[in-house]
This record gives sequence, structure tokens and C-alpha cells, in this order.
Amino acid sequence: MIDTTTKRADGHGLEVTARSGRSGKALDKMITFGAVIVLFAVFSITAKNFFTMRSILTLALQTSTTTLMGIGVTFAIITGGIDLSIGSVIALSGTVAVMSAIAGVPIWISMLIGLLVGVACGLANGLLITRLKLPPFIATLGMMMVARGIALTITNANAWPAPESFGALGNNTIFRIGSQFPGISYPVLIMIAVAFIFHFILKRTRIGRYTYAVGSNEEAARLSGIKVHRVKIVNYVFCALLAGLVGIILASRMVTSQPNSAIGYELNAIAAAVIGGKSLMGGVGTVGGTVIGSFIIGILTVGLTMQGANYFMQQIVIGLVVIGAVAFDQLRSRK
Amino acid sequence: MKKLLFIAASLALLIPVAALFAAGTQESGGAAASAEIAVIVKTGNSSFWQNVQTGCFDAQKELKALTPKLSVTFLGAQSESNVNEEINIVESAIDRSVKAIVLAPSDVTALVPVVKKAKDAGIPVVVIDSLLLGDKSNYVSFLATNNDAAGRACAKALIDLVKAKTGKDEGKIAVMSYVAGVGSEIGRVGGFKDYIAKNSKLEIVTTQDSNADMPTALNQTTNVLAANTDLVGIFGANEPTAIGMGRAISQAGLSGKIVAIGFDGNSVLQGFIKDGTLQAIAVQSSYNMGYMGVKTAYDAAIAKKKVPAEVDTGFIIVTKDNIDSTPAKNVLY
Repeated sequence: MIDTTTKRADGHGLEVTARSGRSGKALDKMITFGAVIVLFAVFSITAKNFFTMRSILTLALQTSTTTLMGIGVTFAIITGGIDLSIGSVIALSGTVAVMSAIAGVPIWISMLIGLLVGVACGLANGLLITRLKLPPFIATLGMMMVARGIALTITNANAWPAPESFGALGNNTIFRIGSQFPGISYPVLIMIAVAFIFHFILKRTRIGRYTYAVGSNEEAARLSGIKVHRVKIVNYVFCALLAGLVGIILASRMVTSQPNSAIGYELNAIAAAVIGGKSLMGGVGTVGGTVIGSFIIGILTVGLTMQGANYFMQQIVIGLVVIGAVAFDQLRSRK
Repeated sequence: MKKLLFIAASLALLIPVAALFAAGTQESGGAAASAEIAVIVKTGNSSFWQNVQTGCFDAQKELKALTPKLSVTFLGAQSESNVNEEINIVESAIDRSVKAIVLAPSDVTALVPVVKKAKDAGIPVVVIDSLLLGDKSNYVSFLATNNDAAGRACAKALIDLVKAKTGKDEGKIAVMSYVAGVGSEIGRVGGFKDYIAKNSKLEIVTTQDSNADMPTALNQTTNVLAANTDLVGIFGANEPTAIGMGRAISQAGLSGKIVAIGFDGNSVLQGFIKDGTLQAIAVQSSYNMGYMGVKTAYDAAIAKKKVPAEVDTGFIIVTKDNIDSTPAKNVLY
């Protein structure tokens, strides 16, 4: 019984997304992907050493964290929400993992503890949003402060060096061939795996279809029997889980717990998602789009740094790209 | 009903926690006491400022013997770039008419009006750590590392080490800075660049700002090293930046192959000195800034003594050779 009603809701939800996208969905994808190629070509010509195997692998490594955060926030954004606590959850799960490792907990268990801390933050966000009816902006804003505060408290605001083996996840590579091929970093493999898994969840599972339905029309989703609260909680847990994962990857790359790091990273994640074609109104978005959005930001950041352009210039360029991408989207959908 | 219960339960959980926090601040603060010296720093969120705090509370312990009613409060903004928040903290200190303010301004000009307001209210202000522009009579004393001198000392160390390694003072170097435009950065990075330009043929190929974010510094350094394979030296101008830079150097397999100079001296940076990733760090006496800051404020506001207009709190260049010496141990944290 429930199945038949939800199918109708799915049909409705998908119809809404399809209408805004079908007009040029394939074309849009081509255009954003084309932008990646063009950017890549421009920097390959203008920035010295940009087009080398080593630089490309470094680019993938540096972009992996933005991509993971972006995929997480994609879920929150599709339901029409937002998660501002990502940067703080990154810092908290990273510091908890490092402090556990320092206390003598085996490395992989301490990393697991860090991930669980992330999940707990997401669960709290989800409960605050659904049970207490807080707007996602407010609930995650509160979490942003609380998580940062806890990270600062447990480290006493200090950077603590982690045991050397803690750095393996972030710094080791596989498929290394002597000095010709430096190998693919674990975070890059994690990024690829996560992208496929969450793409599958969003496109092929019930929770994915419900996510679109809730984002398109929450009331219709509720009336057709979808447990809206449960869907939202799962989405915020996904988002915080990936933030926790980023926290552990970054802590591992630094081999240090840094309670002050990752301030404002949620905005990079949101920018990646928006460039990749999310609408903050909800109901729209794909994992693939976010991956492309992250790589546009990543190529710009790495390329501009290698050209010697300073941080200010990077901010200006990325800001204009965010505005441009969304403006372009608006113009297209108006037609 | 269920919802009400839930709300009641969460409030019931929150209140004791909040009370606990309030009790905690009362203990260390005691804002209601009549002789309060307010120490207001850029942010409480780093080991550098924690070390300043230790200095402040050590001074408080000594001075309590003379003035039992004395209390020292230690406050800071969420982050170093949050200038408005710091202004608000200073204003609220003026409003509760503290005896004196010890201030580490996070901006060279933005804090000038509020410092003047304090002066007009008869509250002496002691400026620590970072430069404050405007009329010098707005504050009674300025205690800081001479950042210009420290930047020059870093430049000298870099030139000497490059010379020792390659036999000449030429090649490409990079500057990894933190937040452009704050007083300490203007002096430190400005002094560094000026000394390099005047005393060597080294060429600065790029200056990056990490926003004092460690992962950003790591990524930027990795990219700078990749873009400039012939780099001979690099300078990381504050603690998170120098740590990120050090990680990037060691991950690129360049430890000891390029000359790397850092700034500040927490345990991670000390590790980099010991394993040869960084050749030298300039360590400021942050403890002294807090300790001498509170003492100077006490002298000016309560003991009514004349205080020196400028005090150099000092710095020391720490290398592998002197890291275990007593002067180095006194400033490392």
C-alpha cells in the first residue's frame, strides 16, 4: 500500500526535477564539463609545471576534500536545507581522532571514533531540524559553534602532533612505480568510491528518490506517506559523516590535530554544489554535478597558486565563477 | 505532549551545563570585582595566545599580593580576522569601567576609535603584540616583538643558510604569509622582504596568504614547490602556516634540500627543527607579552607609576644547535 503511494510521489518529484532539467540536461552537463577542460587547458599553457602527472595527482588530492564535503552538502541542499557546521565538524572529528590516537587508541579505531563523532553531530542536526522544527540554517549554525568550541576545549586550542602512523591514510599512495609515477593517494580513491556510492544512493535507492521528493514538495511527500523526518535526518547524517571523513583525512595529511583549521570550509562545499547545478530552493542536484563543481574550484585554486597569483585574486575569481555559474543556470531555465 | 516533554528534557539538560560554564568564567574572571584589568587578544584559539594567557595569570598571582581585589580577565574574538567582535569586547570592557585594558589589536586602524574612547573614559590601554596606528597618546605603552627586526633576522638566517648550501646568495624563494594587512604581518613580512632585497640577489617568486589555515598552507606550499622546482628557500610567517609548510616540504621529500624558515615555536614546529625539515624558527616570547602587559597596565592604572612608551618583548632564532639551550627553552611552548 505504502509502495504504491510513494511511487506516485516519486513520479511527481521526478517530474518536477525533470522539467527544470530536461530542456538541456545533457547539454548543461557538457557545458560544465567543457568548462573543466577549458580551465585545465588554460592553466596547462599559462602555469609552469601544471600539466605534469605529479601536479594532476596533487590536484586530485587537494580537491578530494572539497568534493567529499560537497557531496555531503548536496544531500542537505536537495532537501531544501543547508549545513553550516561542516567546517567545525571537520575540525572536531579530526581532533577527536588525533587525541584518541595520542591517548594510545589504535589508529584505525581512533579514526572510527572520529567518524562516529561526525555522525553524532549530523544526528543532532537532523533531530534539531525535524523534532524541534528549527530552520536548518539556525540548527547547523548552533552546531557550528558548539562543535568548534568542543574541538578547542579538548585540545586546549593547541596543535598536537599525532603518532607518525596516523599520517598513512592522508599521505600514502598506491600503484606507485618508482619515480615515474608517484602513485594515487588514498584520499583520491576514497573520493572516487564515495562519489560512486552516493551517486548510487541518490539515483537508485528509495532514500535517494525520497530525498528529491522531500526537496521538491515536502507537503506532497508527507501526504503520500514518506517519513519526511527520517529522510531529513538521514541526509544530515550523510553530510556530517562525510565532513567527519574529511576531518580525518585532513588531520592525517597534517599528522596534527588543528582545532582552528577548516573555518568556513562549508562555504567552499556550498560553492562547489552550487556551481555543479544545485538550487538552494531544493529538489535539484546530482553527485556528478558537485564533483565537477569541486574540480572547477580546485583547478582554479591550484592553477592560480602555481601562476603565483595571491589569495585575494583567487577569492575574486572563484566568487565570480559562483555568480556566473548560477546566473547562467537561471538564464537557461527561464527559456 | 511528546514534543513538550522533549523540549523540557533538553532544557533540563542544558541548564546545568550552562551554569557550569558560567561558574567556570566566574572563577577565572570575576568581572564583578572592583579592580579589573581586561586582557583582550585577537583570539583565544591558539597556543600562542594561550601562552600569553599563562603570562597574564602569572602576573595576576604576583600582583594579588599588593592588591587583593585585583582580577585579570582574558578575552578574545572567535578568530583573528573577526575585528568587529574584538571592538565589541573592548567596548563592553569600557562600559563596565575596568581599571585598565591590555589589548592585542587585530587591525592596525579599526581599533583606534575604541582605544581613544577608552582613553577618554580614563582607562589606560596597553597595546601588545601588534601595532596600532593613530595618535600614540591614545595608549600608555606598546609591548611587542619587534616584528620588523624578527622578519629581518629570519631573512638573514635564510640568506646565510642558502649561502652555506650553494655558495652564493641567489635563486628563487617563496614567502608563505598568513593574514595580509595586520600589524604583525606588515612588520614581519615587510622586514623580511626588505632585508632580502637589500642584502641578497634572491628573488621572491610568490607571496601566498594562508588565512592562518593549516590545510590551506599545506596545499599552497605543495603547489608553489611543484611550480618552482628550482626553489632554494621558503619562509612560513606564523604558526599554522609554518606547520602546513613544513608538512608540504617533508611530503615532497625536500626536507633539508631547501632552506625553510618558520615563525613561532609550538611542539610540532620544534619537531620540524629536530628532524631537519625546518632549519630555523623565530620564536617570540608570547609569555612575556602577557606577563609584562599586565604588569605595565597595573603600574599605569593602579600603582600610578610612569611606564615606558615602548617595550621590546624579544624573540630568539631557534635552530637544531640551540633548541635545548636555556634561552630557547624559556620561549618555546
